[in-house]
Amino acid sequence: MFSLLSGCFEFMLRKEELHVLVVGLDKAGKTTLLERLKTLYTDVPGLEPSQVVPTVGLNLAHFEALGTPLLCWDVGGAAGLRSIWSKYYGECHALVFCVDAADRGRLEEAKAALDRALGDRDLYGAPLLVLANKHDVEGAASPAELAEVFGLGRLDGRRPSSIQAVTARTGEGVKPAVQWLVENIKKSQRPELIRRRMLSQ
Amino acid sequence: MGLWFSRLLSLFGDQEARILVLGLDNAGKTTILYRLHVGEVVQTIPTIGFNVETVTYKNIKFQVWDLGGQTSIRPYWRCYYPNTQAIIYVVDSCDVDRLPTSREEFQAILEEEELKDVAILVYANKQDLPGALSDAQVAEGLGLTSIKKRDWSIFKTSAIKGEGLFEGLDWLSNTLKTKRR
Repeated sequence: MFSLLSGCFEFMLRKEELHVLVVGLDKAGKTTLLERLKTLYTDVPGLEPSQVVPTVGLNLAHFEALGTPLLCWDVGGAAGLRSIWSKYYGECHALVFCVDAADRGRLEEAKAALDRALGDRDLYGAPLLVLANKHDVEGAASPAELAEVFGLGRLDGRRPSSIQAVTARTGEGVKPAVQWLVENIKKSQRPELIRRRMLSQ
Repeated sequence: MGLWFSRLLSLFGDQEARILVLGLDNAGKTTILYRLHVGEVVQTIPTIGFNVETVTYKNIKFQVWDLGGQTSIRPYWRCYYPNTQAIIYVVDSCDVDRLPTSREEFQAILEEEELKDVAILVYANKQDLPGALSDAQVAEGLGLTSIKKRDWSIFKTSAIKGEGLFEGLDWLSNTLKTKRR
């Protein structure tokens, strides 16, 4: 009886967990970013950047920011594995696209991967945050430059989008990025959309 | 108190993790176990029952249980589920015909209440043979992308050549370290 009551109580107080999908080319720093999030927002420190190995699958980070529980999915970015990204589109509240801003030679490849992702119907209305990672490296492309390369301006009408500089290795810029995500997910129609999709399944 | 004490102890000694190696018969589970344990390819016979060995890697003592994979003994896998931290699921990447069967067994494992928090490592084994499916194809075939609430990873391995096995353990030890509270 007690467990029934407490179960009901818990259900009523439960906050909706927001899902954030982190994608990007291999070596962009997605897993390092995820481990940094764990270090910043949970009491279990994440791995040091030197310990991170290439992801061939899925890594998770559960944490709470600004009073909102978040679940981050970090999916491997190697060319052969990019086909699995789309399996996570339908249930994610926002898309984070991580770019190695210092690797100018691969910006075109990154743009192609981003364009393919944004063309997917399952991501309809999901806020997009492009992270210009490795901002501390000399010669790294600035957010304005990346916006130019990726043609981000033209997306504004269809979904909230932003491009921000971060350094996952040191954690610089990570908290403002998380704040942008939480605020924009809540403002968007995405949570309602996903709730409806879950119910109809 | 006991929990606190064991946490204190784990600061000094190696962490321990109980790992189950599962998969259909003839996937290469026993060969993998002994490749990890003694670093050699041993002649194996179909396992009826289990083999268990301790493999120490990166300060983690992996207690690795290799359970027989034949149809008739698969129902006994669940006797070993309690207190497991990770599953290594082994697939014969060349056995395209039985991939759907492997998928069924795999999906059933994912449904188990006792295993709902364990990390999932998949070995797409027998990559040394011609016609082996790629990691993305095996992931698709098993339905790995239906996993949304726990960590998973897939590695192309060849137990005979010893490739990919320790890369998988690297991932597993990282995952187990950051999950521990």
